[in-house]
Amino acid sequence: MLSGSSAIEVNDVAKAFRLPHHRRTTIKDHLLHPFERTTFERYVALDGVTFEVKAGEFFGIIGANGSGKSTLLKIIAGIYPPNRGSVRVEGLLSPFIELGVGFNPELSARDNVRINGTLLGLTGRELSRRFDDIIAFAELEHFVDQKLKNFSSGMQLRLAFSIAIQVDFQILVLDEVLAVGDQRFQEKCFATFERFREEEKTIVFVSHDLSAMGRFCDRMLLLERGNVRSYGDPAEVLAAYAVINAA
Amino acid sequence: MAWIEAKTGRRRLNRLAHPARVLRVIAAADFKLRYSGSALGYFWSIAKPLALFSMIYAVFGHIFRLGSISHYYPVSLLMGIVVFTFFGDGSSVGMWSLVQRESLLRKLSFPRLIIPTSATLSAAITFAINGAVVVVFIAWNDIGPRLSWFLVVPLLLELYIFVLGVALILSALFVRLRDVGQVWELVLQLIFYASPIIYPIGFLPPFARKIVFINPLTQVLQDLRSILLYPDLRPNRLTIAQTFGTSAARLIPISIALLTLVVGLVFFRREEPWFAERI
Repeated sequence: MLSGSSAIEVNDVAKAFRLPHHRRTTIKDHLLHPFERTTFERYVALDGVTFEVKAGEFFGIIGANGSGKSTLLKIIAGIYPPNRGSVRVEGLLSPFIELGVGFNPELSARDNVRINGTLLGLTGRELSRRFDDIIAFAELEHFVDQKLKNFSSGMQLRLAFSIAIQVDFQILVLDEVLAVGDQRFQEKCFATFERFREEEKTIVFVSHDLSAMGRFCDRMLLLERGNVRSYGDPAEVLAAYAVINAA
Repeated sequence: MAWIEAKTGRRRLNRLAHPARVLRVIAAADFKLRYSGSALGYFWSIAKPLALFSMIYAVFGHIFRLGSISHYYPVSLLMGIVVFTFFGDGSSVGMWSLVQRESLLRKLSFPRLIIPTSATLSAAITFAINGAVVVVFIAWNDIGPRLSWFLVVPLLLELYIFVLGVALILSALFVRLRDVGQVWELVLQLIFYASPIIYPIGFLPPFARKIVFINPLTQVLQDLRSILLYPDLRPNRLTIAQTFGTSAARLIPISIALLTLVVGLVFFRREEPWFAERI
């Protein structure tokens, strides 16, 4: 099944953020030093990460909170530019990051599906053909014309996930998709993953659900403070993670 | 995105069709959002400039007696208000557009240029509705159409180019520095009074006319007045060509409008990669 050609190549990617220091907290401070520059601290989120995701594989990324997983996904999805290194993506990528695809709370589910589906590359005709499927998978038939602000976080998550998987992607990037959905929806996601596996789609998957990761992933990557700690066979990577957590 | 070397599927090969589709869908949503939750909806887009017009007409037309100068003062004033409203609306909505779509910027990668462009387009739709009201006023004043009215098209295009350029600069600046919002509010008021909207341009001393005509807004407005309100008194519909004594003078504000767009595009492209993390 693994054809050996690569879907994503991440080469020596480094990323740092500037964290502003808010030292001036009182009005008096502001009045006394109105033009004092805020100082910044550099926070290194990724420090030279190199790996490859092969076409058609399920690739898992694990690591503690703050290890750089989400930053890495955002760089792969083209949302953040890296400070160093390069990323090569082969095929249409559909991202599902930070529990959603950026819905507008003031618009109905219908309008949001139209906007986000179009942004992810669907044409008007494809959208109208797949619209019912998207709503059906999200189980939101009764709420199509409700504004998104009235949706629970679970409903929004289901809708976002439904849109992401209806795009004709070759690579699906999933960040914590299992965090909000209930048991039944999770099972439905797993069933969909199995279908994608048969269709030889590439999936990059971030989760704290280690049993699910062990069950689905062909290969894995363990991040620790922005560095690759372990990479390759899932059993080995999970063992390495257990060592970190025990320490 | 420049840092990603992406070979995407055949659909993405059509590099223009995708952004064009996104632009259409987002502009439609923007226009819908403007009046969502309001009982009178699109009516407000006509009501607001008309209300402003009524107030200014009552004060300056009657109390200050500007209305007694020319029979065409009301329609001339309305035209000025509608043109300025488009400029103020397009630039302000454009400035806020990126920040308002924050969650989208943080989660999806797409040409960011679409967001402020869509905001100015939704302002342009409102402008078109208001323009229809101006046309009604023109007809009411028994001014008949002429072949030269086709020149309105390039003038409106110039106006849109200027508004888009300003919106691009402001939207990218606003991501870095929210103070821009306060400053722009003041600048807009300054531009309002520095443009011949309330008063006829003929009221200004000759040297001041030359200065205000550098603003593309003034040049477009006066050209529109001279084309559409041709029976009005000459000092009220003075154009830049008449003021400088040569048509070539028109190239100054036109170049400024074009330059604004070029600067806007360059600055926006430079800032674009950092929007997601700085916003």
